[in-house]
Amino acid sequence: MSSALLLTALGVVALGTVGAAARPTFRLGIRTQAVGVALVGVAGAWILVAQTTIGSPFASALDVRFGVDGLSAFFLATLGLVAAPVLLFATRYLEPTRRGRAIAGLLGAFLLTLAEVLCARDPLTFLAGWELMTLLPAAMILVSRSDGAARETVFVYVALTHLAGAGTWIAVLLAAHAGAFGGDAALARGSGLQIGIALAALVGMGTKAGVMPLHSWLPRAHPIAPAPLSALMSGVMIKVAIYGLVRVLVDWLGVLPLGIGVLVLAVGALSAVGGVVYAIFQHDLKRLLAFHSIENIGIILLGLGACLVLRARGADTWAALALAAALLHTLNHAVFKALLFLGAGAFERSVGSLDLDKLGGLLRRMPWTGGAFLVGAMAIAGLPPLNGFASEWLTLQALLHVPAYGGIGDGLAGAVALAALAATAGLAVLCFVKVVGLVLLGPPRRAEVAAATEVPVAMRAASLLLAGACVVLGVAPGLLVGRLAALAPWPAHVATTVGLHLPGTGSLPTPALAAVLAVLTGAFALARGRRAAAPAPTWVCGQLVERPLLWTSAGFTKPLRLVLESVLRPQRDIAVRRSGGLVQEVSYSGRVPQLLDERLYLPAVRLSLAAAAQARRLQTGRLGTYVAYLIALVVVLLAGVKAGVIG
Amino acid sequence: MSALALAAQLAGGFLLAPLLPGLVQHWKARLQGRRGPTPLQPYRELRRLWGKSAVDVEGAGVVYRLAPSLAAASTATAVLLVPVAAVAPRLGVGHDLLALLGLLALARFAVSAAAWETSNGFSLMGVSRDLMISVSVETTFVLSIAIAALVSHTTDLTAVVAGTAGTAVWSTPALALGAVAFALVAVAETGRQPIDNPDTHLELTMIHEGPLLEYAGRDLALLQWTAAARHWLVLVLAAQVFLPHTHSVWGQLAVLPFALVTLCGALALVETLTAKVRTLLAPRLLAVGALAALMGIVSWLVQST
Repeated sequence: MSSALLLTALGVVALGTVGAAARPTFRLGIRTQAVGVALVGVAGAWILVAQTTIGSPFASALDVRFGVDGLSAFFLATLGLVAAPVLLFATRYLEPTRRGRAIAGLLGAFLLTLAEVLCARDPLTFLAGWELMTLLPAAMILVSRSDGAARETVFVYVALTHLAGAGTWIAVLLAAHAGAFGGDAALARGSGLQIGIALAALVGMGTKAGVMPLHSWLPRAHPIAPAPLSALMSGVMIKVAIYGLVRVLVDWLGVLPLGIGVLVLAVGALSAVGGVVYAIFQHDLKRLLAFHSIENIGIILLGLGACLVLRARGADTWAALALAAALLHTLNHAVFKALLFLGAGAFERSVGSLDLDKLGGLLRRMPWTGGAFLVGAMAIAGLPPLNGFASEWLTLQALLHVPAYGGIGDGLAGAVALAALAATAGLAVLCFVKVVGLVLLGPPRRAEVAAATEVPVAMRAASLLLAGACVVLGVAPGLLVGRLAALAPWPAHVATTVGLHLPGTGSLPTPALAAVLAVLTGAFALARGRRAAAPAPTWVCGQLVERPLLWTSAGFTKPLRLVLESVLRPQRDIAVRRSGGLVQEVSYSGRVPQLLDERLYLPAVRLSLAAAAQARRLQTGRLGTYVAYLIALVVVLLAGVKAGVIG
Repeated sequence: MSALALAAQLAGGFLLAPLLPGLVQHWKARLQGRRGPTPLQPYRELRRLWGKSAVDVEGAGVVYRLAPSLAAASTATAVLLVPVAAVAPRLGVGHDLLALLGLLALARFAVSAAAWETSNGFSLMGVSRDLMISVSVETTFVLSIAIAALVSHTTDLTAVVAGTAGTAVWSTPALALGAVAFALVAVAETGRQPIDNPDTHLELTMIHEGPLLEYAGRDLALLQWTAAARHWLVLVLAAQVFLPHTHSVWGQLAVLPFALVTLCGALALVETLTAKVRTLLAPRLLAVGALAALMGIVSWLVQST
């Protein structure tokens, strides 16, 4: 039954994809895709709730197999929940031009590919889908923009994901060779093969997920994609990489040695803190959101790392809860990040540029989109009673149990990870106060912004649907946690409640908290009454607030920049033009360089280019040289044979 | 007993909270050789402000108007969440320590967003510093919570109060180091020297006071109550978790007033003896607390394995 639903749903997506490619059925086609992908989500949720599996199980043999189990079903449900509103948004965002139709068609193909990776049950199908998942967004970016900068970015994206993506191939093929694709007890705990597969997967799939220090492609590729694609890349594609990591590290490899778990914790902490710190210093909304994806992937990895460490320590129930925390945050991040990217797309549609210093006051001009964006911003900042808080709370609890069950080394790692997550939460609040303030509040900073109007109903509805999901997932996260903990391949039972009630530790009655917060806010607002004197201008020591005096993104983040100066090495330039002893003009430019890019990637690129230049000397292009090479080779081989080294 | 604890919690959190900053101000003045205001001064101010009308900033919208209510509501929820003794009636909102962090962050978010709505440069200056410092505060806070949770095997506050009671838990340095960390958190959350100067009238040096500049009347009254309630939350936590307390619930309830008064005295003394640190060095001060807490966790790990 559920398999029929899933197949029908995928068929509907395919049908919509064909429809969207033709001009007369363009919008109908995208709507059909949205319905289809929503049905995919329903099928996924059904399989997850019914705790069944459909299709064939995993097999290491190289023939095509498809199937869905609980973990795949959860990610399919996430795909449906996020992609349906995104496509609804795309019905109005994309125009039925040649470009728009090509993007709409590719979007459908992209969704089918993501579903294919999630349903693949043999190494070949998995890897084929994995590569296609990388290439289709590149194609869409190239279709939507044809400037040189975009081409360069796509090159970096494809190059980096393929170079490091070799890890995925190594992991999958090694696992298949050992007969462990799909999990097998054949891998001894702590064996070289097990550790090798884990590390290769961490590099390959970590790159695709945007884990630091392999993240460099992500903040380049996400901002230049069209809004629906950015939402899908940040919301779903990097989550499919998390799916791969969970499959390999949790599902297939059995109990991993402690060190792998600690490594995942370390990488997660680096990504979380690094991602949000660099996000804070971005002045372009979409780029800022892209860095936040790195942060949230880091938070997910903190949960995953806690799961691996606790599993190695034999604390199975808490390992399952840590896995549930990671998966819950995966879903939550998919929802609010898609919401924020769609909001950014809507703002871009209304006012043009997304330079943070040139927006302002959009909550009043675009109340629906702005309101939904505000909900998303509060959710990603981890504020109660929204969904980001629920999953961060669960992750904090999981990390708290790492020292409780661990030895000195892993216990300390857990404590440091805990501190990193707390710092991340604080930094995220700073960042989204900045975003909300600069985008939604205060006076408009440009004429276009002052004249902004609300986007069409379909685009508004998409944002509101996702904002609603943020609230629902924040108020009733417990309904999911039991199911998610049950996805762990070891027996662990967690009771299902509406709020979060954990065995033997604190509980988070989310519905009650949300209700009390709402009632008290209302009560205080009522008590405050509406009585107010005539509005007065802002008091700034007798000076009026004028546009040049408004606070900027750089100004607001300056205290943090100064505190982190020794780590971040910010650069700034102040040029003062004087004439006749009077200052005529002061220009300021400052930037926070990407240290990993400049200290790690640039030297590597330079080194390989230099090596290539050396190698090119061998390539003279003259036939005689190549004949000489051949003769030399033959002579060397013969000498080798003579000396007994060969044959 | 549970009813008595509830009465103490609600009366203390909602009614007695303004007395705490009042006491600190009063004693600070005495320590500095001034007569100073009476400890009841915050109540007088609240009464005066409640009788006045609020003033809206030109062009400000719903975020500006709702922020004081939301900040007060999330702090009030936190008051419902933090029990005064190891026994507390179920109010439905739980007693989770980590939830407390979220509620404090929500209040901070509301006030900070409102500062953007007014576009007041002084408010934004205060907010940007407050948020920068609160990153270190939250980190230190979580680590000190971690110590309390490790010692008592839970994050449920009633159980934490019970788990940290008695003298046995003080046989390792963990809780003491946690107390050092939490002392810095308490100073920062209550907005007192050496992190912030609550008496400053110079906008350029304001941190917590900055975002309040644009508010008047009942809005300001709500925000001032919020600041007072934060004193209550932090000092109750300090007294019932990080200071030695008895196993007996009656004992805990009886000693609490004295502990709170002593802690107010300590805040006044620290504020008299120390100068405000440079804002940019505040994170370093808090990092000392975080490292102390990490040492505490290590000492607990060494002892328990």
